[in-house]
Order: sequence, then structure tokens, then C-alpha cells
Amino acid sequence: MIADGRTALYRALAGIALVAVAAATTAIVRGDPDLALAGESGAALAAELAAAALAVAAAVVTWRAGFIFPVLLATAALAWLVAEWNAPAAGPAFTAGLVLYAAWPPLLAAAALRGLDERPFDRPAAVLLALSFGTAVVLLGLASAAVFDPEARGCVQCPANLLLIADAPGLGDALGRAGLALTAIWTAAFAVLAAARIVGASPARRRLAAPVLLPAVAAVALFGADALHGLDRGFISNDPTDRAMRLAEASALALVAAGVALARLRTRRTRAALARLVLDIGAAPAPGELRARLADSLGDPSLELLHRLEGGEWIDADGRVTELPAAGEREATRVHAGGEEMMAVVHRPGLLDDPALVSELVTMASLALMHERLHASRRARLEELRASRARIVAAADTERRTLERDLHDGAQQRLVAVALAIRLARHRIAAADPTLDTGLAAAEARVRAAAVELRDVAHGLFPTVLADEGLRAALEELSEHTPQLVPRALPAGRFAGEVESAAYFAAVESLRLADHEVTVDAVVENGHLRVVIGAGTVLDGAMIQIRDRVGAAGGTVAARDGELRLEMPCAS
Amino acid sequence: MRVVIADDEALLREGLARLLEDAGFEIAGRCGDADALLHMVEVRRPDVAIVDIRMPPNQGDDGLLAAQEIRRRHPDVGVLVLSHYLDSRYAARLLEDVPERAGYLLKDRVSEVAVIADALRRIGEGECVIDPTIVSRLVARKRARGPLDVLTGREREVLALVAEGRSNGAIGEQLFLSRKTVDAHISQIFLKLDLREAPEDHRRVLAVLAFLRSG
Repeated sequence: MIADGRTALYRALAGIALVAVAAATTAIVRGDPDLALAGESGAALAAELAAAALAVAAAVVTWRAGFIFPVLLATAALAWLVAEWNAPAAGPAFTAGLVLYAAWPPLLAAAALRGLDERPFDRPAAVLLALSFGTAVVLLGLASAAVFDPEARGCVQCPANLLLIADAPGLGDALGRAGLALTAIWTAAFAVLAAARIVGASPARRRLAAPVLLPAVAAVALFGADALHGLDRGFISNDPTDRAMRLAEASALALVAAGVALARLRTRRTRAALARLVLDIGAAPAPGELRARLADSLGDPSLELLHRLEGGEWIDADGRVTELPAAGEREATRVHAGGEEMMAVVHRPGLLDDPALVSELVTMASLALMHERLHASRRARLEELRASRARIVAAADTERRTLERDLHDGAQQRLVAVALAIRLARHRIAAADPTLDTGLAAAEARVRAAAVELRDVAHGLFPTVLADEGLRAALEELSEHTPQLVPRALPAGRFAGEVESAAYFAAVESLRLADHEVTVDAVVENGHLRVVIGAGTVLDGAMIQIRDRVGAAGGTVAARDGELRLEMPCAS
Repeated sequence: MRVVIADDEALLREGLARLLEDAGFEIAGRCGDADALLHMVEVRRPDVAIVDIRMPPNQGDDGLLAAQEIRRRHPDVGVLVLSHYLDSRYAARLLEDVPERAGYLLKDRVSEVAVIADALRRIGEGECVIDPTIVSRLVARKRARGPLDVLTGREREVLALVAEGRSNGAIGEQLFLSRKTVDAHISQIFLKLDLREAPEDHRRVLAVLAFLRSG
């Protein structure tokens, strides 16, 4: 990430402040090791300085305009060193040391509660922080300093306390004890609040927050324990226990820095995975590929992508209209781009809880997402078209069946009855009149011929056997009418009406155009009915009708070498 | 011979009744739907019931269902189904339960009173009758395996007449062959097609029909 000028300036300032405070602290500790928390040990001082440096470094790498966490963390790190300044060697900084020696735990607690995800302080956090700063800076700092005269307490080499109003040892002790007791209380409360946060968080947020929050709790709790240790005497001193605590606090502070690094590493890894994803699939991913890759890189195989149409409804990758899941087992994270809701990622609860992750997702994958979205909406339109074509074909078939029935039950019946009536007339009236009988016989023959023709027409409209018994029976029956049809291996099962009629009428159309035998083979494979119609001729003329019917059934047609290959999805 | 006629088309029903009366049949009853037919057969016990395949209440194959019901309840009552459909499957359905005293003719034959009368008589004698048009279509059908190619032209003629339900004697008469020759042809056909010869003529029809209908 390229830092802008302002960020670079802040980073430089943080570095300079660290160097200055560290130098001053070293001078103060070295000036009078007996009175320092680090003591004589160079290693202890080095540990103190290293912890502060690591924390400032962690703050610097996470620095972003408007972010509060890095500021709080850097300030806490510097205040951590200032805890050494209430010593005689501090010179003009002595008063600052008196006021701020207990300021780092509240600052660290504030940083930890803010977190890397810049969570606004909620009410419990705000109350806790008010209590902690009041205790540390007002009670143990300002108020205690106001009644503390170092010279009167026997520290002749101490610099002047600039905040001194009047020395009051009794009041000072009372303030100190109260402050330490309150410190023990707020640090414990902080630990409880942090624990509640971690337990209540979604897995994703927990992964992000815990590495920072847990070491911060440890550091603050150690300080709270040290406050309890000093409760009797009324102040935090530098006895061996205090010094051991200080070292442990240094480790915890270093761990906070490590936690920041770990969380950043994780974010970076996710980002890298997303970047790889975009590189891999390029700007034109295969349908559904984006989903698979996202599921893979985010570790949720059940992840789904939904897209929002202009009309406001949601569609899935296949273009089917669907609903966002209600809260519960699945969670939908809505993704906005260009100020409008573009898609939703449906996933395990908490998977995309990290807002940074979602924003990464949008920026890194927006091209691919846009493509996927276009693809899905195209699929939606295609699906709509297919459905409307299917409706048209179905309506036409219903019409044909009705017509077939009407012809059978109506016109054909009547014609047969008329033929019969003519025959009766011949029997009864015309028997004696040969001329009349000849005329009536001719009329009868014509009417009967008409009845036969009508039967064939009605049958061609929509054979009842197709609806009653399915494709195989219908084709076999058709071969009784039309000897050049040769049905071969055909599945006996039933399929959806549009699939059966598409296959049947493809055979009928092929028969109409072919001059030779027409063979029909069909087989069910992988949920598809594959039909091969061998006609030995080019069937161009029939293609449009056949394509319409097969397309309405969601299938495809291929014509090659006098063969027609239909493939339609079937549930059977 | 006593006959009942069931057809929802009144003109056709009455016309057929007249023609059959003229030809010497006794019309024992007429009705227009399947339920009335079943009742009429129960009460009047005709020799043969003439049934239109498509009748109320459903206008589907109610007539065929009624015919099958008559076959089951009264095996001694013959059934002649008149149909608009050339499909052999309806004929096969009619014969599959009780393959005797049953006939399946195309409806446009009703004015050919000789054909109807012949069919009624044969049914009365226990034979079965299949419309020649349906049989000839079955025989002419192209087949993937071509099993009929092994037959001679004469054998195919005999086979068609067997499928129509003709007895050996009737086949001989029609083709001007001696009874012995017909018997020999039939044995040869059954041998070539690997069919088992049934003792009764009507069982034989069923076997041949099933053979012709299969791929």
C-alpha cells in the first residue's frame, strides 16, 4: 500500500516521538537505577524499550487516516515508557511522570476495545474507559500529585513537583489506596468485557480481534494485579514483585504488537487469495467459477452468489428468481458497488463479518463480479425466454389435442353416421331404382373416404397414445401407420410432456421430409434423453419446428450426416 | 342372434340397429353410455354387445373399459368394439384378458353390413375378429430386426388372416387352398417365427398379434 504524504508524516512523527521518549527513559533509568522499575538490569530496560518499539511499529504499520486504533496503541506504548519518569533523574519531566505513570493501561485498553476493525466504543466500553482514565490520570495522577511534595517526603534530590498545591501525606495515602483499589476493579471489569466480546463474536471477527484483545487483557490484568500488590502501602513501587510484573507486562505488550502483525498477516493472506482469484479467473470467468473460487478461498463450500436485478428481485447463478435467506443457518452479506446493491454472498454465519474483507472482496473482484452478474441476468432472460417458448409449445399442443378430440368425437362420428344413413337409404328406398342406388353408392364411398382422411388428419394433430402411453408406444404405433418409420431401441419410461412431444414430432417432421426409411433410437444418459433420428437426407426444412420444440424442453438439436441428434434434460 | 348396441351418437346407433334388423339380427337394446351398457348386458344377456370405444362419461376409452368389464363378468357374452383408432394397442388390450368372443373393427365399417354381420357371427361362434386394415398395417411395418423377411408371400397372407382371427377352414376358403395345405403353412409359419402353436384359434390370434406388435 502506498502511503500518502500525511500518513508518512504521522509515521515519521511516531518514530521521532518513540526515539525521544526512549532516549529520555533510558537516561532516567540509567540515572538512578535503584528507583527505576527496570532496575540495574540492562536486559530489563532493553525489554521495556523493545516492547514499546514493537507496539509503536505495530501502530505505524496499521496507520490509516481517520483510524483511532493506531493512535491509541502508539500513545499507550509511549505512556508505557513514561511510567519510568516519576523518578528523581527525570528532571523537568518529573511532573509528567507523576501524572501519567499509570496512564498506559487505560490507553492500551482503549486501543484493544477499538480493535483493528475500528469498532466504535459502545456504552459498556465508554463507561469502563471513563472509569479507567479517571482512576489513572485524575485520581492516581493529578489529585495525588497535587498533595505530594517530594522534598517533604524525604526525596531531596527530586525535581520540583509543578502541580503541588500543598503536601498532605494522609490524603495522598487515601487517594493512592482508592486509586489502586479502583485500578484493580476496572482492570478486572475490562477482562470480563473483553471475554464477553470474544465469546459473543462470530468466528471471523473473533479471529481478527482475539490476537490483539487477549494480550492486551493480560498486560492490563498484570497491572491490576500489581495495583493489588501495592494496595497496603498506597502506591506502586519498584520492589522485586513490581519489577517482575513490569517484565511480564513488557512481554504482554510485545504480544499485542505480535497480535496486530498476525491479524494483518491474515488479512493480507485473504487479500492475496482474492487477488489470485481475480488473476486466475481474469475478467471473464466461466459461469459459476467465481462462486467456486470464492467458496474455496473463503473456506465455505456452501457459499452462494445471488445477483440483484434492476427490478429488485434476486436471482441465483442459474438465473432463477430466489429470496435472500432469513437470519438463521445462512447469512447474506450484501455487496454494494457504485452506490447500488449489486449482489449478495450467502454463506455460513460470520464468515464475512470482517468489513475489511467485504470491501476487499468488492474492489478486487468487481470486474469478475460484474461479469458473473451480467451472466446471471442473461441466464435469467434466457430462462424467461425458454419458459415462454415452452408455454407457447404447450399451449399449441393443448390446442392440437382439443382439436383432435373434437374431430374424432364430432366431425368423424357424423361422417360415419352419414355414410350409414346413405346405406340405409340405399336399402330401403333405392333398392328398386338402380340409377339412384349407383348415385348413392358413390356418395357413400366419398363420405367414407372423407371419414378415413379425417381420421388421419386428427391422428396427425396429436396422437392420444403419446399422452396416454408415452414416446415408445406412440412411435411404435406411428410405425403401424407409416411403414417407413423404424423405431429401434427406445426407453419404455415416461418423460415430461414437452420432452415426449418434442421427440415424437421431430420423428414426424423427419418422416415428412425423408424419402427413405427413418430410424429412431433413444437412450437416457446422465439425466438426458438422447434421440438419434436417422433420415439419410438433409432435414433443413424441418429444423425450425424441431428446434422450437426441443428448445422449449430445454434441449439442443444437432444435424449431421443425415442424422438428427436431440438432447433434452429429463428427470426420468 | 341377439345384439345390444352402445353408441353415444344417436344417428349412428339407430342406423346400425336398422341395418342389423334388416340383416336378420334381433336388437335387444340400445344405449348411449358405458354404465347403461353394463346394466343392459346384465339384464338382457345378449349374444354380442356392439360397443363404441369412445363414450360418455369421460369420452376417453370408456367403451373399451366397459367391454373388458363385460368380458370378465360374462365370458359367454361376445363383444365387438367399434373404434376410430387404427392403433393395434386397443385391439391387443381387448384380447389380453379373455381372447375369445371378441372383435375390434374400425368404425367406418358400420355401413358395410356384410362385414359387421360376419364379425358378429364369428364372435357368436367363439372366434375373435381383428380389423384387416389394422393387421395389414402391422404386417407391412418395417422392423429393425425384419423377422417377417423369412416368410414367403403366401405365408404372409396366411399370417395376416390368422391375425384377423380366421379359422383354418375360413383361411382355406378365402385363399382357395385345401385344409391340409393351410395347416402345413401355419405349422411352417409358427416354426419360422419361433412361436408356440396354441390349441385354440383365439389364443393363436393373441400370440400372432403380440408378435406383430413387438419391434
